[in-house]
Amino acid sequence: MNERQSPSDMPWRNGSEPFVRIVDVSRSYGPVVAVNNVSLDIYKGELFCLLGSSGCGKTTLLRMLAGLETVSSGRIEIDGQDMAGISPWDRPTNIMFQSYALFPHMNVERNIAYGLYRDGLPRSEVTDRVADMIKLVQLSGMERRKPDQLSGGQRQRVALARSLIKRPKLLLLDEPLAALDKKLREETQFELVNIQEKLGVTFVVVTHDQEEAMTLATRIGVMRNGVIEQIAEPREIYEYPLNRFVADFIGSVNMFEGVVSETDPDRTLIRCEDADMTINVSHGVSCSPNQRLWFALRPEKPEISRHRPENADNVVEGVVEEIAYRGNLSIFRVRLKTGKQIDLTRTNQERSAEEPITWDDPVFVSWDAASGVVLTS
Amino acid sequence: MKRIPLLSIMALIGFIFLYAPILSLVVYSFNESRLVTVWSGFSTKWYGELLRDPQILGAAWISLKVAVASATISLVLGTMASLALVRYGRFRFRELFSGMTTAPLVMPDVITGISLLLLFVTMEALFGWPAGRGLLTIIIAHTTFCMAYVAVVVETRLINVDRSVEEAAADLGAKPLRIFFDVTLPSIAPALVSGWLLAFTLSLDDLVIASFVAGPGSTTLPMLIFSKVRLGVSPDVNALATILIGLVAIGIAISAFVMTRNGRSSETDA
Repeated sequence: MNERQSPSDMPWRNGSEPFVRIVDVSRSYGPVVAVNNVSLDIYKGELFCLLGSSGCGKTTLLRMLAGLETVSSGRIEIDGQDMAGISPWDRPTNIMFQSYALFPHMNVERNIAYGLYRDGLPRSEVTDRVADMIKLVQLSGMERRKPDQLSGGQRQRVALARSLIKRPKLLLLDEPLAALDKKLREETQFELVNIQEKLGVTFVVVTHDQEEAMTLATRIGVMRNGVIEQIAEPREIYEYPLNRFVADFIGSVNMFEGVVSETDPDRTLIRCEDADMTINVSHGVSCSPNQRLWFALRPEKPEISRHRPENADNVVEGVVEEIAYRGNLSIFRVRLKTGKQIDLTRTNQERSAEEPITWDDPVFVSWDAASGVVLTS
Repeated sequence: MKRIPLLSIMALIGFIFLYAPILSLVVYSFNESRLVTVWSGFSTKWYGELLRDPQILGAAWISLKVAVASATISLVLGTMASLALVRYGRFRFRELFSGMTTAPLVMPDVITGISLLLLFVTMEALFGWPAGRGLLTIIIAHTTFCMAYVAVVVETRLINVDRSVEEAAADLGAKPLRIFFDVTLPSIAPALVSGWLLAFTLSLDDLVIASFVAGPGSTTLPMLIFSKVRLGVSPDVNALATILIGLVAIGIAISAFVMTRNGRSSETDA
């Protein structure tokens, strides 16, 4: 998770002027609405992630920022300037495509230099800036190669260099790491953050990979069916999702469906039939009496033990049905008497525990009243 | 993989059927005898004879001019048509336009020839252009059917050009015309080369359409050969035909080579 900024450089918290303003933007293709009335502010120096599964409209939104897609209704402002009617070649943005879209007949150097020559810069300046950029993205020695002589990771860096070379006010990245294998992707994530911090450019990244969004982003916008479901910092999105979709999309979660039986400002009781228990929550919930709602519990929150824990806010009995060993952690799937399953994770801190919990053991699952989230939708 | 002998025999028969007549023509072009069907020894004298025949040289020159001009014009027009078909997206009558572009491919030459002749005559009567039949009318006529071939060849390539590469150029500050010359044109260049060569050979080959729209003093090579043969096959015609076959074969070979190489490189792009 990303903890690199202090509250003072979180402009979305202190009421600064946003750098990019997306106001009630929609885009429809005939009867299909790809982006539906989206409003979003992005601040200077941010690395904003648009997160969603394929077809949720995130790429369309990105392309509208670049001017490659027209806006059906609404308004986009970048640095105080209305972008309506401004062609892609006149916008202060650059985009990095998912396919990289390198010019196949040009070598690395010419690919990167292309944008500068279009601006009519003198050759000597272009050469200097391209050389600096090649150093920055660590492509020295590759200058004369054509795209088809490069590996996937190298192509990705050429595409990044090409989109950075014009020092855009806003850099748009469409699934920048999707084509890389896992190991390279993790390395590149950190490289991308480093470059972003070094250059101070505002980034908007589109991704379907929630881990990637968590690692990269200052804030995340979760999209579904053309609508933004929640905009928040990674930690907040994970710990306090607004609804079941977001809770489920980001990480894994145990969902309990129930009815409020009692609520006051610092305590709520939820009667949950499918686990045959009453869940204690340490805060009030604004809802009507007997309203149906959901309690979301992340798998790393609950404890698992052989003996009934004392003073636990919530305890439920079950049997270990499945254990998945993942090296750094193990995932336990516990089946309750009602048949409901709870997944929980344990970090494997000790090499060998005295008496490890194993398959078919009767166990108690317990959690603190403050460790889950109540969702009303 | 084990080859089935029967299949190779069938292929052999097919090739013999296709190429035996051409082969005999090539062989007899090196015949010394004046009698076409009697072999009397190897000689290249009929090729020398050709070079001394002003009528043949004149016709060859006309054919070459027509082929270059109509290939070039149909390259421009055909490319424009395929750009409109591929890039304009779904405009009204797109299917109709697409069908109409490729219709000349299957139109019988005789019909194309007659209709063009009628058109030229009517146009001359109405506004005096084109004045008479000649080089110009043959070029126009050849352009009409060559253009269809160019359009098909270029369209196939254009469909496979990655749209986002053009968008990347736009994003980096290139305006549409610039994008076309910097990105689109290099991507479709192999198709343009093979389209031009195809048009060139088609024009060089054509007898029927040219016969309809040609006028006095604009006899093309195939027309000359045809008229000569009607008076009896002479050995110099064999030599001429051999040269023509050579030219066409080279044209098609280069065009095929360019297309396959291009196909391979676009595979590695993906």
